[in-house]
Amino acid sequence: MKNLKIDETKYTPEMTFDPETLVIAIKGKSYPENTEEFYKPAFEWLEKNLSDLGKKGLTVNLELIYFNSSSSKALMNFFDMLEESVDNGDNITVNWMYEEDNESILEYGEEFLEDIETLPFNLVPLKSRE
Amino acid sequence: MTDCIFELKNDLNKNGIFFCFSGPISQDLIVEIGDTLKNKMRLEDASKSSMRLVFSIIIEQAQNIIYYSEEKVRPWSAGVNAGSISVGIITVAKKDNSYIITSGNMIKTEHVDKLKEKIEKIKGMGKDELKQYYKSQRKKDPDEDSKGAGLGLIDIARKVSKPLEYNFSSIDETVSFFTVTTVVAEGL
Repeated sequence: MKNLKIDETKYTPEMTFDPETLVIAIKGKSYPENTEEFYKPAFEWLEKNLSDLGKKGLTVNLELIYFNSSSSKALMNFFDMLEESVDNGDNITVNWMYEEDNESILEYGEEFLEDIETLPFNLVPLKSRE
Repeated sequence: MTDCIFELKNDLNKNGIFFCFSGPISQDLIVEIGDTLKNKMRLEDASKSSMRLVFSIIIEQAQNIIYYSEEKVRPWSAGVNAGSISVGIITVAKKDNSYIITSGNMIKTEHVDKLKEKIEKIKGMGKDELKQYYKSQRKKDPDEDSKGAGLGLIDIARKVSKPLEYNFSSIDETVSFFTVTTVVAEGL
């Protein structure tokens, strides 16, 4: 299983999908011009590898400081996919990290949590960097 | 031309507009616009929360121009197959402690009624209704003619301090000019 690494740009996050450490990390801003196209490699990777990783126990760390509305849709699709995997008996935990004073990211996290039923989803405060 | 620019500058000042761009809008330009505004607001000691709101609204409005503007240019240096760039206008004003973001672009006249209906529907919703509508649309597949997730306007409506204002100016049977104005009050 190959890892997937996509570098950060001014408007897209850094993504690291590592089958060895069993951690998926997405960090930064997300407002690509074409969101579907940007996240396509990530979703393709997940389709191939998610069930194997879920059995071993996968951690998903999300540390987004800003995302646009179409990225919010992509995240919902992502959580739906993870939840389906959990419903099939896999072990996945999502950590939604937000800077303490970024109430907007916290609220988005809370709203995702409301729409999630079985996927373990933690809201994790971080010290503000500014 | 010299006189016209001076008049334009005076008009902008009169309306409290401190930022204005009219022309082809690329993704890279959106990044610059966002950063420029953040810096300007930082100088004015704007709160972090209103900076975030203004930033996120301007990105949604600007990306709507990229997605839906009917006016396009092709970069002169690019080849025949190069993608075209959408043209639109974005202004930001500050008045009475509020930031006012106005954007405009050409749209197909045949889309006017549908867009009007969508905005009116959103304008008629309260905070909780908007939240539920946002969430239900996020779960659905976007409309066929939607190029993002179809969530932009709902997301904007959830962030503004006053109801959205909009206008359609009919140009001819095929194109109309669409303008939308959003207001973020400082200190919210």
